[in-house]
Amino acid sequence: MRPEMEKVVSELEKVIAGKRDVIGKILMALLADGHILLDDVPGVGKTTLAVAISRAIGLAYRRVQFTPDVLPSDLVGFSMYDRGTGRLVYQPGALNHANLLLGDEINRASSKTQSALLEAMEERQLTVDGVTYPLEKPFLVIATQNSVGTSGTQWLPFAQVDRFLVRLSLGYPDYEAQMAMLRDRQGANPLDQVQCVLTREALLGMQQTVQHLTTKDSILDYITRLTMASRTHPRLEAGISPRGALFLDRMAKAHAWMDGRDYVTGNDVQAVFMDVCAHRILLRDPTEGISAEQVLNELLRDVENPDHHSRLGGLLKR
Amino acid sequence: MKKRIAVYAVWAVLACLLYFFENHTDTRIILACTLFLPCLPAVRHSLFREDQRTRKAMFLPRTTRSMVSREEDEPGDLRAYLPGDPVSRIHWKLSAKRDTLLVRPQATSSGQEETVSDTAREDSCPAGQRMQRRGLLIIALSGLLALVLLLLLPAARLGMQGILNRLFDASEASNAYLYDHFPVPDTQPVWPAVLLLVVMVLALTAVSLLTGTRAPMLFLIFACTVLQIYLGIRLPAGTNILLFTGLLFLLMARPWKWQAARTILCSMAALALAVLLLWPGMDVTTEAASEHARDWLSQTFLQISGTVRETPEGMTETRHVHTQSLTEGDLPARSARTFRLSTLEEKQISMPHHVNYLRIALLLLLTVVLLVLPFLPFAMLNRHRKQASEHIASFQSADTREAILAIFQQVIAWLEATGNASGNLPYARWEADLALHLSPEYALRFAGCEKLFEEAAYSSHPIPEDYRQRLLNLLRETEQTLKARADWKQRLRLIYRECLWT
Repeated sequence: MRPEMEKVVSELEKVIAGKRDVIGKILMALLADGHILLDDVPGVGKTTLAVAISRAIGLAYRRVQFTPDVLPSDLVGFSMYDRGTGRLVYQPGALNHANLLLGDEINRASSKTQSALLEAMEERQLTVDGVTYPLEKPFLVIATQNSVGTSGTQWLPFAQVDRFLVRLSLGYPDYEAQMAMLRDRQGANPLDQVQCVLTREALLGMQQTVQHLTTKDSILDYITRLTMASRTHPRLEAGISPRGALFLDRMAKAHAWMDGRDYVTGNDVQAVFMDVCAHRILLRDPTEGISAEQVLNELLRDVENPDHHSRLGGLLKR
Repeated sequence: MKKRIAVYAVWAVLACLLYFFENHTDTRIILACTLFLPCLPAVRHSLFREDQRTRKAMFLPRTTRSMVSREEDEPGDLRAYLPGDPVSRIHWKLSAKRDTLLVRPQATSSGQEETVSDTAREDSCPAGQRMQRRGLLIIALSGLLALVLLLLLPAARLGMQGILNRLFDASEASNAYLYDHFPVPDTQPVWPAVLLLVVMVLALTAVSLLTGTRAPMLFLIFACTVLQIYLGIRLPAGTNILLFTGLLFLLMARPWKWQAARTILCSMAALALAVLLLWPGMDVTTEAASEHARDWLSQTFLQISGTVRETPEGMTETRHVHTQSLTEGDLPARSARTFRLSTLEEKQISMPHHVNYLRIALLLLLTVVLLVLPFLPFAMLNRHRKQASEHIASFQSADTREAILAIFQQVIAWLEATGNASGNLPYARWEADLALHLSPEYALRFAGCEKLFEEAAYSSHPIPEDYRQRLLNLLRETEQTLKARADWKQRLRLIYRECLWT
């Protein structure tokens, strides 16, 4: 791992122990300039992690706890009449000055609030009363949804889940990690010990670098063949969208960069494939007892990877 | 399952009886198919091994299943079963899946519940396999149906006989043509032709063993069958069985496993049986016995019906003579053919004008194939050699990137030729398998050089020149490691590759 990222990870490990791989993936998503959907049970440290990330990288942190009566104007702001000047004055919402937004239990929000947030995520700007406000850079949304106790909630539609770069889950800590956590919390709050080891500007620079990594045509060809295969797979109602392919490429770049390389390999694509694509496909018959992950594994197994594909002469020519 | 075996047994016994009493080509085919069908491993599996429940679920209409599936989309609506809940509200399917009882809060319509109870268990095999099995079962069933139709419909039987007759006719005609236009004296030695054939078979076998393709073997089997059926060349039965068995063995034995061997043995036994059954003249004893039995039966019948009569001795005798003439009567048949050829009218009958050209064309084609075939292996070898020399030339190419790719592909080719490849995994993840199969040290070296390959293949910055030497070292080490650990089959292949590549 890159030394600068290694530093960030070790800062984050002060508050969340034993979750190195998930932390790595979140940082990758941050580098790829995408948003994260955390599918998790309550109380595993989603909020703590988000706060810790914002402190370690020096990002402005906002949090929205979604309930059915959170309105779009709470997020994007609204205009208020000022009696003194007789004008409408714009009151910024939660999104306006946030670099890192934690949207807790996004599936509890009403659908119009959800769509307001998702639109802002996609466009990276807000439009209120005809005036457009650009959002801060970087802008990362970590949305969480609980898979238990979901009565009376509004699940994100399939089309909107597609806008998240990755879907991750933290999961419960193991024995060692939980013991370490309990021991740490005896005295001071470990969140206070997290230091800023990376500046916002440095992060923006890294994002630029990641975006311009070399991806050869053979890799793009692999991504295309993977996604095309998912679209014609007999078990799938809906395969991976073109946006999914785009995100796969971005995430693979971030993975390669984290690994200290300046080029993407087929292995990078395979490493991030599950996290990027598992929430993008729709099973035709969920009663079969076959999960999306199994279908994706099948794709990885069957679609010829670029290392092998090169033998057909493709790689030598390019 | 027992029921199915019983049905099959009854069917087999009936086929045997049919064969015993009605001894001709049709019944032979029926019996051969009956015995051969369950020897196909997949059919055997679907007929005898499969769980009853799976088959039920398999044939359930698709709409019913998707109806059930739609219901499962809202698992949030379910809660655990508490004592006192009405049994009718239990969601049986999900309960079966999660191993605890789950209850719907609101009662749903009763129609759905009925369908749910039908597919209460998830079957254990994945759906792809199920589809395959379904296909095989359909094939087997349609085969059986065709056989039954063949038995029941006289028109179908006659048609079948017509086809066989035509085949026989065609081979007769081509034989006649050959005899007529290319007269060969009896004293002409046949060994050059036999030698040519033997060399061809050996060459094709060697090629298929070394390159690992099965196409030449398939071709040989096909050629042997066609030659025998169409041209009327008949080898002795024992030779034939040995030949086909050997070819089949070579065809199937490549990925060597006990299970595969068992399947092959079963198939061979079935094949031998089928050949024995279909071979005219091989079953004289059966025929004689069945005639005796028929005579005895008719005598008994007549005795019971009251009109006792002596069996005319001559009938059985004539049959025996007829049978014998089939088995031993090579000479009269041949002389009859010569005779037929000498009369003009007969020739016109056996070779209608419009078929003649087709037959001649077919014969020419066959001749060309026979002439070209012995050279095919050499052509293939030559092509491989050429490819190899081009590939080796690129090892020293001025473009380091291209050279590295070529060398690494060569390493992979070596590993694949000896069965050490890890399938469709990226090369970066081959290390574990290599450590297991070859040696941990080699695996480490491989992983190190694999990084260089990746850099050459996927990066755009210039590649240092010393990578080439490192990869060449890996190639040399690969050759040594593989040679040290190869068994005789792999060694044969390695020697072949070495001959090609140096």
